[in-house]
Amino acid sequence: MSETSASAKQQQSSREKFIASANKGKILANKCTKCGHLVLETVFFCEKCAANKFEPVELGGTGTVVTYTIQAVAPEGFEDAGSYAWVVFKVDNSQLRVSGFLGGIKKPADLPIGSKVKVNGFSPKYGLLIEKLAK
Amino acid sequence: MTNKVCVVGAGSTKYGKLNESIIEIALSAAVDAINSAGITPKDIQAGYISNVFGVADRQVHMAPVIMSNLGIPNVPGLTIESACGSGSVMFREAYANVAAGFYDCVLALGVEKVTHTGTARSTTLFSYCSDFFYEGGNGASFPGLFASMARAYMTSHKASEEDLANVAVKNHENGLLNPKAHVRKKITVDDVLKSPVVADPLKLLDCCPFSDGASAVILCSEDFAKKSGRPYVEIIGSGRGASPAAVQGREDITTIPSTVAAAKQAYKMAGITPKDIDFAEVHDCFTIAEIIDIEDLGFFPKGKAARAVREGATRLTGDIPVNPSGGLKSKGHPIGATGVGQVVEVFDQFTGRADGREVKGAEIALTHNFGATGASAAVHIFKKVDRK
Repeated sequence: MSETSASAKQQQSSREKFIASANKGKILANKCTKCGHLVLETVFFCEKCAANKFEPVELGGTGTVVTYTIQAVAPEGFEDAGSYAWVVFKVDNSQLRVSGFLGGIKKPADLPIGSKVKVNGFSPKYGLLIEKLAK
Repeated sequence: MTNKVCVVGAGSTKYGKLNESIIEIALSAAVDAINSAGITPKDIQAGYISNVFGVADRQVHMAPVIMSNLGIPNVPGLTIESACGSGSVMFREAYANVAAGFYDCVLALGVEKVTHTGTARSTTLFSYCSDFFYEGGNGASFPGLFASMARAYMTSHKASEEDLANVAVKNHENGLLNPKAHVRKKITVDDVLKSPVVADPLKLLDCCPFSDGASAVILCSEDFAKKSGRPYVEIIGSGRGASPAAVQGREDITTIPSTVAAAKQAYKMAGITPKDIDFAEVHDCFTIAEIIDIEDLGFFPKGKAARAVREGATRLTGDIPVNPSGGLKSKGHPIGATGVGQVVEVFDQFTGRADGREVKGAEIALTHNFGATGASAAVHIFKKVDRK
């Protein structure tokens, strides 16, 4: 195996890195080394200053529900997911908002806005998995 | 300084479930627009085509196929995709090329055919228009994404499910008067509230239908329009805007930044304010979208649109009629064609072709159309031209 292909094999894409952190219950972000602004790992240039040098920051995967829907009619691939919510949540200790899949939500009373949630892995089938935390 | 640009011809197929191929649907609208302009295809110097899911009817690279079937195979064409905003984004490119003086006369045509794929497949195809890694890939359908915006809006501005339903009722009232509308059926608030939930809090009758259809217009220079001897409409404002692709990227989920930016540009170019608009065709893919649109376009202050709709301000006889055509909700939403269809409605209104749903005394109109949850948007403003 050549040196180049060996290094390519070891190199993870930005999405693979994001997924690896999600599987540890974390959200992987990038902190701009020029202005300190935080962006998701999947963003390649700083939204504030357009610099592209970052240092990785693994945020704790907890957050607060900003909004959500309960998908009564599921898209293809989610037909067997049972009753679930697609949720946007604000990640604690950052300005970042992330969205994911939260199983077992049947009615709005199950998930008031402001509920606490945390990342619980990444599924090839359902994407970013999150779970509701007890109050 | 750019040149004045006019719309001198317009045509649409009926929107709905159509049996013809996507190319035949497109050609039907093109022929109507060409006839309406009183030109022949030989007058057309370029073709702009908007489409999203041609692949579902086994045809991409659609522009050359359409131009060839119009008998002008050597006239350059361009196919543009910008999700549900494809039509208006394409119209903007056609406009810009005529305004810049590259062409005197162009065809702008939008087309879509998806109903043959079925609801489940169409829902999935549409989800590819989202920021899929964060949205469609995590289980969000388009009704789901707009439902999340509805929940945010209802929480922030104390709006109710009845408030959303009022938008659907009003647009169905208008669509009933449009012979080319997909869903020509009067509905009540109770019908909307009792329809099956698709993505809470949105119900089936909060959602536009999947539609097939095509719409086409002929854009030209002012000189060309004057010489044609035909009725025409002048484009006096044009704006484009963008928003973070994913809903999660927006600090305020109850507004769509691309609409605000596009409208600001278009108003500035036209030298007018929202108060000068006599009617508007806006992007009501879901009832919540129209509520957000008419605030972002400046017709109502933030948080006040639901009340305005309830009080009838946006009805055909209201202060600012919105979606006299029936909108996406009733007229239908063939996504590649929708933005062009809005221009066809303006042309029909201003040239005496909107029998039964005419906005009386209207002279200035606005069209607004966006892609996905508003990641891309375009706003255009038109002025009626009285030919003496």
